[in-house]
Amino acid sequence: MNEKPKLSDIHQGDSLPSVVKHVTQQEINLYAEASGDFNPIHIDEAFAAKTPLGGTIAHGMLILAYASEMMTKAFGKSWLEGGKLSVRFKAPARPQDTITVSGKIDSIESIEGIPYVNCSLECCNQNGEVVITGGAVVKLQ
Amino acid sequence: MNNKESDSSPVSFEQLPIGYEFPPSSYELSTSVISKYLEAVGEQPDFLKSGIVPPLAIAACAMTALSQSFTVPPGSIHASQELEFLKLVPIGATISCGGKIAQKLERGRLSLIVLEINALNQDREKVLAGKATVAVPK
Repeated sequence: MNEKPKLSDIHQGDSLPSVVKHVTQQEINLYAEASGDFNPIHIDEAFAAKTPLGGTIAHGMLILAYASEMMTKAFGKSWLEGGKLSVRFKAPARPQDTITVSGKIDSIESIEGIPYVNCSLECCNQNGEVVITGGAVVKLQ
Repeated sequence: MNNKESDSSPVSFEQLPIGYEFPPSSYELSTSVISKYLEAVGEQPDFLKSGIVPPLAIAACAMTALSQSFTVPPGSIHASQELEFLKLVPIGATISCGGKIAQKLERGRLSLIVLEINALNQDREKVLAGKATVAVPK
């Protein structure tokens, strides 16, 4: 993990290091165990097949964890200790989807002498469909 | 993640008023728990060397704590999420997660429930805060 990036290394317009994940039912099941969220829409394929979704979907928070991984790669402890996320879940992620998380630095501002990095981010599936969209702010320590 | 408290049976969200505060739930974030979480999210296991709990693991605990306290009808969707990471949490710590119903809104064919969530460390310091919006079909 990067400790904390230097302000001089960060520029408006910079792309964040993208993260690519392949979603599997096994990982969804593991996430259910890890998080305690056993909603059948995520883990019961027979149940989920009968819903309008037509099959199981990944937990939104699982996909959001991918976005946090991207921010951690980019900003290290500054993200873990001073990060903010604001996102909308636009579409479900399904088993066998490949999710690409991408983002960029929109602006850098100083508030009371502390630099804040404003980023936009997106999680898209292999069809280019947006699964999560939103922004993140990092308070550089 | 093992929940040490919160033995109440969940109730329908319709029965809960705005301002209702959920009973807190405790989670011990041991190495094995975090290792399991990292495997689930496909994160490198060497993250464990940092000794820091991933903030989304804390958020997952907070969301689970609330979701175990009330029910929503089938077809409900987690529509949006805001999170703020306030303090690092070391692996091995125990956190207390809670929240409240901040708003109930009507938007056409949907009801929106806005939940405020938080997590406190063992010193009762807030380590995470956030809001989750759930869209519920009428």
